[in-house]
Amino acid sequence: MQTPPRTMSRRTLGYGAVFLLLAVITGIELALNSLNLADAVVDPLFLVLSLGKATLVAAFFMHLRQDNRFYTVIFVLPVLLLVVFALLTIVI
Amino acid sequence: MTYPATHHEDHFRAGHALGLDHLKVGMWLFLGSEVMFFGGLLAAFLHYKVNNPTPEAGLLDVGLVGVNTFVLLTSSFTVVSGLAGIQRGDPAAMNLYLLATIGLGVAFLGGQVYEFVSLFRHGITLSSSVFGSSFFTLTGFHGLHVLVGILWAASTFLRGMRGSYTRENHIGVELFGLYWHFVDIVWIVLFTIIYLI
Repeated sequence: MQTPPRTMSRRTLGYGAVFLLLAVITGIELALNSLNLADAVVDPLFLVLSLGKATLVAAFFMHLRQDNRFYTVIFVLPVLLLVVFALLTIVI
Repeated sequence: MTYPATHHEDHFRAGHALGLDHLKVGMWLFLGSEVMFFGGLLAAFLHYKVNNPTPEAGLLDVGLVGVNTFVLLTSSFTVVSGLAGIQRGDPAAMNLYLLATIGLGVAFLGGQVYEFVSLFRHGITLSSSVFGSSFFTLTGFHGLHVLVGILWAASTFLRGMRGSYTRENHIGVELFGLYWHFVDIVWIVLFTIIYLI
């Protein structure tokens, strides 16, 4: 299916904005890491920032935001399983 | 069990009626299996990190890996820009962005090799400790995925140079993009779990 040129240029601008946001978040992560703050303070922040970056890539660069929801289900289900397994390794 | 001759075709049409591309469904299923593959390795690394903390983790160069993370994020941008190029009927832009992706992928691998060599010099190897085993297995398999991605990008680039992709038919570029972005997402998670937390 062809995409109209105006939609395409808006989308390209959107990709640039997402990339800038990803770069800024990475910069924030590195800055936070250099501050040597308590783990209990920064670790949850790192996890949230990482989840945000991964979501941005999946939603915008992999087009899950606009594609059929079935693709999202295929991808998110194993991710949820992974989170459960990861938590189990810490708890057990 | 024998199906009528039209069974497969009916399902094929049913998939399109739902707005699904069969190649993309296959790719997403593959990526789902990859989530479980990296999940197993990540769970093992987390288990040792939490229950058996080691001073070796202090030798990791977060600054260098931060730059490498930026390189991989940039490569995701070049991939999606290449896809946008062919979607607006500009194969030259797509080829240029694919070439940039290959360069950025090679740069990422170069950074990883440099990190590995630095750790080897400190006596950390695949068999030196639990940290070494879990670290090199996890990051090594990710590096292998980047290498496969570079080869895939090169193949997509060569096909692009031959004019195989058009504004109407570019599913090959899209599938490569899905794989590359997934490898990027895995690195985003690994960067946090291994180097930041």
